[in-house]
Amino acid sequence: MNNLDFLIPQSLREVWDLYKRFPGVRFIAGGTDMMVKIKNSEEKPTALISLRSIPGLSGIEIGEQTRIGAMTTIGDLINHPQLGDMFPVLIQAVKRLGGPQIRNVATIGGNLCNCSPCADTALPLLVLEARAVLKRSEGSREVPLDEFFLGPGESCLLPGEMLTDIILNKPAPGVRATFKKKGRVRMDLSIVSTAVLLEMEGSTRKCKKARIAAGSVAPTPLRLKKVEELFENAEISEKTLIEAQKLAESSVSPITDIRSTAEYRRRIVGVYVKRAIQELLDF
Amino acid sequence: MRKEIVFNLNGSPVFATVEAQKRLIDVLRGPLGEKGTKEGCGEGECGACTVIVDGLAVNSCLYPALEIDGKNVTTIEGLLGAGNQLSVIQQAFVDHGGIQCGFCTPGMVMSVKALLDANPQPTEAEIRDALVGNLCRCTGYVQIIESVKAAAQKLREDK
Ligand SMILES: Cc1cc2nc3c(=O)[nH]c(=O)nc-3n(C[C@H](O)[C@H](O)[C@H](O)COP(=O)(O)OP(=O)(O)OC[C@H]3O[C@@H](n4cnc5c(N)ncnc54)[C@H](O)[C@@H]3O)c2cc1C
Ligand code: FES
Ligand code: FES
Repeated sequence: MNNLDFLIPQSLREVWDLYKRFPGVRFIAGGTDMMVKIKNSEEKPTALISLRSIPGLSGIEIGEQTRIGAMTTIGDLINHPQLGDMFPVLIQAVKRLGGPQIRNVATIGGNLCNCSPCADTALPLLVLEARAVLKRSEGSREVPLDEFFLGPGESCLLPGEMLTDIILNKPAPGVRATFKKKGRVRMDLSIVSTAVLLEMEGSTRKCKKARIAAGSVAPTPLRLKKVEELFENAEISEKTLIEAQKLAESSVSPITDIRSTAEYRRRIVGVYVKRAIQELLDF
Repeated sequence: MRKEIVFNLNGSPVFATVEAQKRLIDVLRGPLGEKGTKEGCGEGECGACTVIVDGLAVNSCLYPALEIDGKNVTTIEGLLGAGNQLSVIQQAFVDHGGIQCGFCTPGMVMSVKALLDANPQPTEAEIRDALVGNLCRCTGYVQIIESVKAAAQKLREDK
């Protein structure tokens, strides 16, 4: 990291300006991914643009539409007095992201933009059908989170484009959701993770809508749409659960790496999807 | 690129000229000569480098030095009382065998301080949770948990 420029703009306009002036520049938020990548020479930026001092990029506004600023830290999500009441599955997931020292600086935007297949904020946000607000000097656009991830470390962000907000709709009544993560130890990156959201018809077993996502089992955090379709407007039974488990196994494309094997990941994702639904429905 | 930064270190303003690629730990151990903060992994995994920035425990090995400008930093050196007297947390680690080789200790103690400042009466689960980001190769953690419980009790009694 020699001859690096470290730029601390105070406004978005200044960001666009710097982006044009410094080729090879990268954004840095909390730095918990970026600083490790620089140390290991996976990233060799010539300049870093820090997003920490730009007003308006962090903070949470609760409402019919909830807005979470990209620079909001994981700790701020956990400590927010209302966020957990409206989106318990999000808090359940981020409580297991790293240890306190990481959560105090790591941001939700950094977690998503790092585009790791194991990003812990991605799964709850995928099942909650979050939208990402992206801005660059030419203007802003909104994309479903589902279309944000393109591959490991690769998002739909254009050069110079920044994630500024996450938008969430208020969940419909009767919606329940849960998150599961398998790690070697508590603060570890996941071996497999899943989030399941169900919208049920009253207190019956009839499911109106299902949203299911899995992490660390494909090049990106992944919606398991075939499994979702199985439950759409259908009765959930022992039989459909076993079908869902098999379908989850065959919908993923895990790899073997230092954390686990492809075979194990495939097995566990099926088990987790089944268990999550059983838990949500008290099966 | 070099820049002058000013921040509060353990209650006193300090100045440093730092290069853009430096991390907070480099500034503490380098120009400022504060060697209490340790570097283990340099990648956020071990917690040996833990310091407190504006009330929150952070890994100083992942914190860009230039971002510390204007902030309040507390390191293990800031815990000593007059005449180099150990703080309650440090003394509890000594008394309860929470310290063996000592390499993890400054980081451990800073995580404990951040915990007890925010939550003076933590449960064992909360203590373990506050320390998941701090690794110790020696003690097996049991004595560390005992040290934290003892420190919490002493701090409450002293109030
Ligand atoms: C010890 C340790 C444990 C960890 N444990 C977990 C874990 O359990 N689960 C997990 O999911 N992650 C974990 N992580 C990874 C990391 O902490 C998270 O991904 C974190 O949320 C990243 O956020 P950040 O603000 O630090 O991002 P940074 O490192 O600052 O940025 C990450 C990437 O996103 C880009 N970026 C950041 N913000 C924006 C933006 N607003 N717009 C456009 N691009 C942007 C940066 O250019 C960079 O490429 C861990 C990391 C460490 C070191
Ligand atoms: S040296 Fe910073 S966490 Fe290990
Ligand atoms: S006392 Fe040696 S690493 Fe903890």
